[in-house]
Amino acid sequence: MDAMESPDVVETVGLTKRFGERTAVDRVDLRVPRGSAFGYLGPNGAGKTTLIRMLLGLTRPDAGSMRLLGRAVPEQRSEALARVGAIVEEPHFLPYLTGRENLEVVAAAREPAAHGRIPGALARVGLAARANDRVKTYSQGMRQRLGVARALLADPELLILDEPMNGLDPAGILEMRGMIRALVAEGRTVMLSSHLLDEVEKVCDAVAIVDRGRIVAQGPIAELRAGAAPTVELRTGGDQMGVLALLAAHPAVAEAVGTTGGTSEAIRVTLAPAGPAEAARIAADLNRQLVQAGVTVYGFGLARASLEERFLEITSRLGTEAVA
Amino acid sequence: MSWRLIKAELLKLRRRRGLLAWTLLIPLGVVGLQYGVLAALHAGDPAAHGPAGGVANLATTLVLLGTLAPVAAVLVGATAGAGDVEAGLFRDLVVTGRSRRALFAARVPGGLALLLPVVAAAWLLAVGASFAFAGGSATPGLGAVLLGGGWALLAAALAYVVALGLASLSGSRAMTVGVMLAWLFPVSNILLSISQLGGWRRAIMQPALERIAPSQLVPGGGGSAVTMSLAVTLLVLALWSIVPLVAGAWRTQTRDA
Repeated sequence: MDAMESPDVVETVGLTKRFGERTAVDRVDLRVPRGSAFGYLGPNGAGKTTLIRMLLGLTRPDAGSMRLLGRAVPEQRSEALARVGAIVEEPHFLPYLTGRENLEVVAAAREPAAHGRIPGALARVGLAARANDRVKTYSQGMRQRLGVARALLADPELLILDEPMNGLDPAGILEMRGMIRALVAEGRTVMLSSHLLDEVEKVCDAVAIVDRGRIVAQGPIAELRAGAAPTVELRTGGDQMGVLALLAAHPAVAEAVGTTGGTSEAIRVTLAPAGPAEAARIAADLNRQLVQAGVTVYGFGLARASLEERFLEITSRLGTEAVA
Repeated sequence: MSWRLIKAELLKLRRRRGLLAWTLLIPLGVVGLQYGVLAALHAGDPAAHGPAGGVANLATTLVLLGTLAPVAAVLVGATAGAGDVEAGLFRDLVVTGRSRRALFAARVPGGLALLLPVVAAAWLLAVGASFAFAGGSATPGLGAVLLGGGWALLAAALAYVVALGLASLSGSRAMTVGVMLAWLFPVSNILLSISQLGGWRRAIMQPALERIAPSQLVPGGGGSAVTMSLAVTLLVLALWSIVPLVAGAWRTQTRDA
């Protein structure tokens, strides 16, 4: 297959990196589809940055293979990285140079056309007016945006952003989200690593969840959410303990708990894994049983599983397995 | 070799105000100070102090420049070698896909493009002063001027590549400056004074440089305690140029960015 026709912009097979006894990246098989916003999601210390560093040739893997934009890395690293823009950890600059001069320094290491992209990149991230100020006068958010401008000098097919929301205020986060979606709309692929589940869910189309160096789930966010156990949230009157016992007796209920303590009437019911239609049928059945038992039901709803719940479910299950 | 990378290296160095100030001040300041003092002394008491210019005083300037231009070279070389790593910029340059060897190679002409014009300017200032304040003293010939300038440039360039290599190897500007200044001044001189080291002292850079100092200005190589043939001299200078560059290039190639 021609490198440019590859449907996945990042492909890794069995990628492994060890630091002494510790395995930071453990046999990772990753596929990032072209033209998507892809989240590499995991808690701090899960090996996200190490994987990115290997992809970019900053550190060598101990085992496995990888391809960027269809090209084998490290064999064709230069060709692959020519169309990749990246921010690894926080972006660094020479503080005594202006924003424009910092971009000139990096543009000099890229193709000649990169120099001509500097004004456009600065305008795109909203720094054109401050381009001739020294970077030491920039705020954290401005440095982050200048980092994105620097990544855009490659006219990238793939942007790799490591924790891009770090250090940004709410307005900056909103801007960054919009910028990422705009870049994807142009046909570029954005791979971002983050420990912020909410951010990934808001920005990304697909995600890989990583825990202790291993990918534990991977795919479109909607599919991952669908894999989560459905839940029902309800508010009832009467004896809560009796209601909980009644709900727990249903064969499709995995767990029923009061969500805000023993005196509350709020209850959260976790169902056994089921598709949307089956979950709706079980929820209706539960409601009918409660009414038939004379329980007053003030509120009842099937909750949409969030990526956060799926993430916690997967990682806590892994924790249980590890203990077992 | 990419002109754009070399220009970028020069930009990074010349825009560091402190570095630029010291790079200008050390060679130019020393020459200016020397001739200023000599001219003032001569003006105050012409009977006791001869003219400030002339070939004899130019020879003194050359020795001074050969000693102090390497100090400026160390500052520039240490910054060129370790600046990107210390600022965290090296990583961002590596992820462009440009070869690390090319990134390192650009530092050599990039730094020399800042350093050598300053050393040349200092030498030209000295030559100008040696004519302007010559009075009745003998003035230097063209050969002495050219050879003296070439020798000062060589001394600075050698110190630059050693500092560049060491800084690229260590990734630390401060450590490089400290080690290099210690080497250039007390350590080299102490080693040269240890006669038990015998011929091994030829491996030190300073005697090799003194060996090829222009005889019109510094007769007898400045009276160095170590003698060596021209072939050995060239070999020593070549090794002092090549080994640091190879070590620096190797570390730049293998460093985790």
